[in-house]
Amino acid sequence: MTVKRQAERNVRKPVVPAPPAAPAAPAEPRRQRSSVGSRIGAWRDHHLYGFFSSLGRLAARPWATALTVLMLGFALALPLLFYIAFDNARVLSGGLREAREVTVFLKSTIAAPAASGFAADVRKRDDVADVIIKTPEQGLAEFRQLSGFGEALDILKENPLPTVLVVTPRQLADEDDPPLVAELRNDKRVDFVQYDATWRRRLSDVLQFGERAVAVIAALLALATLLVIGNTVRTDIQGRADEIAVMQLIGAGSGFVRRPFLYTGLWYGLLGGAFALVVVIGAEWAIAGPLERLLASYDHRFALRGLGAISALIVIGASSLLGWAGAFVATARHMAAGHPE
Amino acid sequence: MITFDKVSKRYASGQDALAELSFEIGAGEMVFVTGHSGAGKSTLLKLIGLVERPTRGQIVVDHTQLAGLRSRSVPQLRRRIGMVFQDHRLLTDRTVFDNIALPLIIAGTTRDEIGKRVRAALDKVGLLAKEKSSPLALSAGEQQRVGIARAIVAKPPVIIADEPTGNLDPQLSAEIMNLFAEFGAVGTTVLVASHDLHLIKRIGKRVLVLDHGRLIDDFRPAAA
Repeated sequence: MTVKRQAERNVRKPVVPAPPAAPAAPAEPRRQRSSVGSRIGAWRDHHLYGFFSSLGRLAARPWATALTVLMLGFALALPLLFYIAFDNARVLSGGLREAREVTVFLKSTIAAPAASGFAADVRKRDDVADVIIKTPEQGLAEFRQLSGFGEALDILKENPLPTVLVVTPRQLADEDDPPLVAELRNDKRVDFVQYDATWRRRLSDVLQFGERAVAVIAALLALATLLVIGNTVRTDIQGRADEIAVMQLIGAGSGFVRRPFLYTGLWYGLLGGAFALVVVIGAEWAIAGPLERLLASYDHRFALRGLGAISALIVIGASSLLGWAGAFVATARHMAAGHPE
Repeated sequence: MITFDKVSKRYASGQDALAELSFEIGAGEMVFVTGHSGAGKSTLLKLIGLVERPTRGQIVVDHTQLAGLRSRSVPQLRRRIGMVFQDHRLLTDRTVFDNIALPLIIAGTTRDEIGKRVRAALDKVGLLAKEKSSPLALSAGEQQRVGIARAIVAKPPVIIADEPTGNLDPQLSAEIMNLFAEFGAVGTTVLVASHDLHLIKRIGKRVLVLDHGRLIDDFRPAAA
């Protein structure tokens, strides 16, 4: 390259001083620009060639292409589905972690007026945001509705449920036993205080473990994608060894020979990623019905988070990149060993 | 245009293909290389296109020292050499036009120019009507002429052909050889390996005769 440029300069040198200085000056940059322009044109034409020839080749073997794309699509869809599941679990657990309620079961001996008095006392505290009273009747009605033991409950002569106070603290300390909980627990009117800090922490640990597991699976399947594309391109190269040899004999550089294969890898990645999205959307659609019923029972406090448009673009971009990289590795190996004939 | 200076080639198998070969071919000259099979004709052509590298000696092609050429620069050299093969080595998955256009696409020629030059090359080999055909639909002679069109389309200063008439009948062979002679007449250096002595004699050009890798005769007809 440098030798060639040197040669050009050497050729140009004697040309410049010959004509008068004034007309020579504008001629020089124009010539340069046209050569840069033609080089960009050649670069663009080479890429267009790689772009269309690779696409044509994929279209010429629709079944083989479809098989590869399907395989890649499923390989990519799996970690995506895991990711969505855990993303939702995280949101759900986030809601749980922020659920500040402390459930206080009063002794059954406490009557309704005393209960509301106690509720008013608790509500006055600085560290309490809100208190909701659930009378035994409300509790029974709720239980009847959710548990399905309606008829069994009818046998009971009297309501066994206590009055329940749902206390929302103003801020939730990370400690297991905030002072509020301790004081409520020690109150004589209180039978039992439910505050599941430990259980919540355990859930978040489980979810963190799940997230890491998804990341590992995703990394492994990304590697598999890379290898599938690399191997597909490698067989493709082997099948076209004659053609590559001819191209090299008539002066094609390794970049020119390589480019259509890199584009092939890119196409595989792109199509595989797009198919993975189709699989994910299909899966979301398939579970939408039952999930909707489940969510309805939770008063829609939680909605399914699908894959957003940006995530979808990232998926396609990343899988295209994987495809390109797989093809790059495969062609690099062949080019290193490649000799015409 | 092509200079060999004491060039020897020994293959990894231990076979000596060429020994101390020296000759010089001027610009625009047409030269035949002949000899029995295994005499080193193909090796000689491979060394010019840097398909193989010499074990010893210096080769200069179109002012380029091949010994110092790094493998990255080899494609640049090959673009200045039009190669014709015995089995023509056309790409059967594309049309005649696309086959011939390939060297121009590689060289980064603009599309308008490619169209013009490919048709000019097709015209020269008399196949202008076949540009959209598949190479498989052509006769052996036509296929070889497409191969020649591909070799000349980028207007290389040097054309080398390895047994270009090996698969053709005498009449077609004569046509092909006359085609090469025409290129020689317009300033292109042409080097053709062939064992068809009868045909070579009829063309009446310089002949290098190889035997077991050695140059045993450099015959120049009085006319040339």
